[in-house]
Amino acid sequence: MRATLSRDIVLGAIPLILIAAVWQAIVSFGYAPAALLPPPGAVFVRLVHQLGGTDFLAQGGATLLRLFVGFTIAAVLGIGIGLMAAVHRGVDAVVRPLVRVLAPVPKVALYPALLLLLGFDHASKIALVVADALFPILLSTYYGATTIEQKLVWSALAAGTPPHQVLYKVVLPAAMPSILTGCRIALVISCIVVFLAEMISSTDGLGYLLVRAARSFQTVDMFVPLISISLLGLILNALLYGARKVLLRGFPEV
Amino acid sequence: MSAVAGDGTATARIGISIAPFAPLLACLGLLAAWQIGALLLGTDSIPTALDALRAVPDILGDRSGLANILDSIRRMAIGLASAVVVSIPLGLAMGRVPAVASFFNPILMVTYPVPKAALMPVIMLWLGVGDLSKTLVIFLAVTLPIIYHSFEGAKAVEEKMIWSGAAMGMSRLQIMARIVLPAALPEILAGCRTGLVLALITMVTSEMIARKSGAGNILFNALDMGQYDTVFAMIIIIGALGIIFDAAFDRLRRALVAWSDTRQDIPLSFS
Amino acid sequence: MRPLTMPRDSIANGPPAVPVRAAPPMIAIQGVSQTFKTAGRKDHLAISDINLDIADGAFVSILGPSGCGKSTLLYIVGGFVAPTAGIVKVKDKAITGPGPDRGPVFQEFALFPWKTVLGNVIYGLRQQGVPRAEAEERGHKLLAMVGLKGYEAFYPKELSGGMKQRVAIARTLAYNPSVLLMDEPFGALDAHTRTRLQNDLLDIWERDRKTVLFVTHAVDEAVYLSDKVIVMSRSPGRIKKVVDIDLPRPRRRAELLLDVHYQKYVVDIERLIEDAPEDAVHP
Ligand SMILES: Nc1ncnc2c1ncn2[C@@H]1O[C@H](COP(=O)(O)OP(=O)(O)OP(=O)(O)O)[C@@H](O)[C@H]1O
Ligand SMILES: [Mg+2]
Repeated sequence: MRATLSRDIVLGAIPLILIAAVWQAIVSFGYAPAALLPPPGAVFVRLVHQLGGTDFLAQGGATLLRLFVGFTIAAVLGIGIGLMAAVHRGVDAVVRPLVRVLAPVPKVALYPALLLLLGFDHASKIALVVADALFPILLSTYYGATTIEQKLVWSALAAGTPPHQVLYKVVLPAAMPSILTGCRIALVISCIVVFLAEMISSTDGLGYLLVRAARSFQTVDMFVPLISISLLGLILNALLYGARKVLLRGFPEV
Repeated sequence: MSAVAGDGTATARIGISIAPFAPLLACLGLLAAWQIGALLLGTDSIPTALDALRAVPDILGDRSGLANILDSIRRMAIGLASAVVVSIPLGLAMGRVPAVASFFNPILMVTYPVPKAALMPVIMLWLGVGDLSKTLVIFLAVTLPIIYHSFEGAKAVEEKMIWSGAAMGMSRLQIMARIVLPAALPEILAGCRTGLVLALITMVTSEMIARKSGAGNILFNALDMGQYDTVFAMIIIIGALGIIFDAAFDRLRRALVAWSDTRQDIPLSFS
Repeated sequence: MRPLTMPRDSIANGPPAVPVRAAPPMIAIQGVSQTFKTAGRKDHLAISDINLDIADGAFVSILGPSGCGKSTLLYIVGGFVAPTAGIVKVKDKAITGPGPDRGPVFQEFALFPWKTVLGNVIYGLRQQGVPRAEAEERGHKLLAMVGLKGYEAFYPKELSGGMKQRVAIARTLAYNPSVLLMDEPFGALDAHTRTRLQNDLLDIWERDRKTVLFVTHAVDEAVYLSDKVIVMSRSPGRIKKVVDIDLPRPRRRAELLLDVHYQKYVVDIERLIEDAPEDAVHP
């Protein structure tokens, strides 16, 4: 068990090290000028340096705030609507066709409309995150809630649970594994779209840093926000994984 | 309410009979809501749904407008097709060979949250603003979900099926092609469906960043120039492309995996 | 006061007691039919015109070929499924849905995976508004009774099938239903565990004499446990015959297996199920 774990780590580290090595080699042997491809060392030094500066942290904070607010709104809406649609025929009849139409629409294309409607500040970017993160959560909630073991509901009803409480006492916890899977997908998407939105309307945030660096051909500064968003995604994913471990303690194969 | 889970299946059954009309009704409802909302708002920058719809034929009738959109679709098709060819074998190999999985997993995890379209400025430096950069970015964006779904699909293939294949004297490659691939097909196609929508998004975004041609180019140029009817007409066109591609793919999927009872008849598409 | 329909003590105590006009039956199933609508195909009549009275404190088993509607009938009595025709009365009141007077035990256990063993057992008590401390105390007693002392903090996934079913039984007994509705509760267990749980169930039943409606495939199980065995026929599901099991209680498995009366019951009922003619006659 321990042996396979360490083997996994070694194997997994190979491509990461390989990429860094090839990257360094290309720079060192002069295949690419530093203006096009900065050495990896320089990028990491800049990243660490930036992490100490208030400007960078403020930009990162703006991104994180939008990510967090957008994701939270999407989660609340997605779980709420998904559960309602799963148990209520009327809601289902309205939600299903709407989701069918809206889910495959590329949400980034809506961003200009959101900009015109909500302005260039936080609201439009948060709205885009919500639009993108909503559907994975809604669909996985709906799927989880419609496929739960019916006898769980029956057992609860027989034990005296009032029918209107079954929704959050049984359906919600029983659908939790599926809901959290949807949340994980939505989190990755949120990272992606918040960055894109910041690139498009470029006022602040990590995406803006990338565009600003690109405009002045500062290649080192272009890599820093890219690595930052990857790190941010990894950290948030780890937090979600922790939440999953706690929430799904009783479920088989977490 | 006494049969909570039963309600879902019951409506699903009813849904079949009105299925062809429900999405249409939903479209009409959305357009009506837009129309009323725009009229209530009454600002210049938000045209009514009717105004935007009226601008759609202008774009599609215009030679360069249509050429731009077809350009976009071509890049998307090439990026998507090459991603499918590369990702499925890789994902299947990861699913059946643990060492391959532990080799690729970390790098995939690190790159997943990076928006591939955000690589555009960097890639443009190397490969220019032409087709190659944009197609490459689409390719990169689409590979990850397809790899992941193929990986999950292959991992879930029942061990006994593979044993019986081996007992029949199949080679490892034959087992992959004749047993693992078909068994994982529903999952793979779910990944392709996600990839399809991702390709569309990356297409729009990459064209927004490298303004040379394409649907995203028209959209964001119109936004910069304040041609709001065109902006919203483009949104309708791109949205319709998404819906049409998705519906067409769903047809294909149903034909390919008619034997599998996938309950998820709504796409889990994103971003 | 025992109703006439249940001559439990007749063999042990000589001639049957003098017929008394007894209290109404615990469960009265009156003219119950269930039709399933299926997309495309024609409607499917699963059970047809079932009439059955079950006395208070009786242990009644339902036997019949697969697909004859045993589960359907049980779900209707539970109030989980509404019949297309007929009514079910419990203590002379028509049921409108599930209620804590009828506790189900399913073959699939249906434990709440997100709750611990103790959490599962006290769920119904908490629903009834029993304070947590008191509910937990009763939960501990129940778990001890089903032989699961020390497993309070475990999650269901950490238990074996037999232990899960013990938890499910404790969960249902906790809110003290007047009727137990058991749908092949031991169907998913191995023979040894099944025997032990049968004995434990009989012990519990001897103690507080709840009315039990027990669906099973195993003829020996039905005869061993029941006062009465309902044999059903298929397409559509009807009651083919009601067999009274006049074997003395308390029953001991080892003695019973050698008992010719017991053996005759098993053989007769097996024959009844085997040659289930399509045009089954009503008893
Ligand atoms: N939800 C449903 N929809 C349609 N038909 C159903 C449904 N539930 C049960 N049936 C049909 O009703 C009949 C009776 O089913 P039921 O599950 O009650 O049988 P059973 O006697 O419990 O069988 P088994 O011994 O295999 O558990 C079957 O023919 C079945 O196909
Ligand atoms: Mg059954």
